[in-house]
Amino acid sequence: MSNTKNIHKGLLERFLDLLLIALIIFMTLKGGTSGACAACKYQRRRCAADCPLAPYFPAEQPKLFQNVHRLFGVRSIVKILEKLDETQKPEAMKSIIFQSYVRDRSPVYGCLGVTQQLQYMIWLAEEELKAVNSQLQLYRSQPQNGQNQYQNQNQNQNHNHSQMIHELGGDNKQQEDVTSQQLDLGMGLNVNNNQSNIVTPFISPLLPVSQTQQPQMSYTYSCSEVNNNGYSPPAYNTDSGKEILTNNNNVWGGQKRFLYNVNNGGGFSNQNQSCHEMKSNNGVMAIQSQLVNLQMASNHQQVEEEEDGHEYDEIHQFLEIIDDRQSFADSKEAYASSSGGSLKEQIDEIGENELRSAATCFSLTSMN
Amino acid sequence: MSNYTNSPCAACKFLRRKCTSDCVFAPYFPPEEPTKFANVHRIFGASNVSKILHEVAPHQREDAVNSLAYEAEARLKDPVYGCVGAISVLQRQVLRLQRELEETNADLMRYASCLGSETTSAYGGRRG
Repeated sequence: MSNTKNIHKGLLERFLDLLLIALIIFMTLKGGTSGACAACKYQRRRCAADCPLAPYFPAEQPKLFQNVHRLFGVRSIVKILEKLDETQKPEAMKSIIFQSYVRDRSPVYGCLGVTQQLQYMIWLAEEELKAVNSQLQLYRSQPQNGQNQYQNQNQNQNHNHSQMIHELGGDNKQQEDVTSQQLDLGMGLNVNNNQSNIVTPFISPLLPVSQTQQPQMSYTYSCSEVNNNGYSPPAYNTDSGKEILTNNNNVWGGQKRFLYNVNNGGGFSNQNQSCHEMKSNNGVMAIQSQLVNLQMASNHQQVEEEEDGHEYDEIHQFLEIIDDRQSFADSKEAYASSSGGSLKEQIDEIGENELRSAATCFSLTSMN
Repeated sequence: MSNYTNSPCAACKFLRRKCTSDCVFAPYFPPEEPTKFANVHRIFGASNVSKILHEVAPHQREDAVNSLAYEAEARLKDPVYGCVGAISVLQRQVLRLQRELEETNADLMRYASCLGSETTSAYGGRRG
């Protein structure tokens, strides 16, 4: 009986010891060695309880603060935060962190590069939509009985359209055949006939950022993904979500990439000129190739959405393909370069990388 | 080219310092555009901009400055979202267009398949 009691006592003591050890470990982990946020750690100062930056810069992600510090600086951030309400501060910080991250990955163009890529994507999508709508109109306007010959032509054209969509580039001649067929049928892109009426796909980068346009964006700010370097970029989810490049391979293989290259001196060249050049030089072929790319990008997007990738890897891979050598033209840019003259872009077909990157951007979820 | 004899650049004017011949800001902040540097300085700070310029290749500096000017102006207009707000708007537009494109393509395929079946039946009728 006494032995049993002793055994129980021993077990109880051991249990209590273990509990105490667990408690100590827990407190240590919770408090950390210093408890300072990433901002205070970087600045090597004591992190006060009311540190304004602590909520936004967890200690586990020092790189986030480093990016912000490099671009904005602490004083600037604090000044911005002071002018805002409590409800606006988290959103502002998220956008600042995001902007800094983009600048870190793309030191030359930053968010402006992304903006212009998106604008280009929009232009491409609109052009393709016009083409498809005009084709649809033709189908709808056909009499029900149909004329076999005309139907056959449409079938061929449609087949070519599908072929165009699925074909990985192909050669120019094939595309020319498709183009000429489409043009013969009065469909397709009316690019060459529209030179007097060139639509500028790029709008001024100084977009009217009005308050009314601002959505209540929801940033799914994830601090959980930490890579080996202790750096996890901000993660923003959208419906397009996972449309991030997973490979940098150019789907078009030998196809030339659509690049705006900064050859000399930099600066933003004339957008209208670039589009005009594109349309007059490569004409419909370039446009259609780009439209196919867009289609493929959207097809790929569906596949990507099903993948459960880590947000860090996605953003990391996406941003790796942002080519700092690209320049983005803007005819109405107030700060247009005065040096180096107009740039001669190498007008090539846009690769899948650029389309994906423009489409993905940074996965911002917006709520209206 | 020496800035010593010329008018000081917008940056040196703003900072009230001598604009030397090797002023890093001079090529990109002409004196005719004072607000450009003022905005950039307010948001990012002159030293940060200087560091960024030094990190970037010389032929890319102008693009870097222009993008910084754009971001600074966007941030001044919208202190909460800055240029990220515009990105969000554009991204939603891209998504909308892609969805619309998918639906339209689906319609097109439906029409094409309908016509295909009509043609087949027409041919079959002829032979039959």
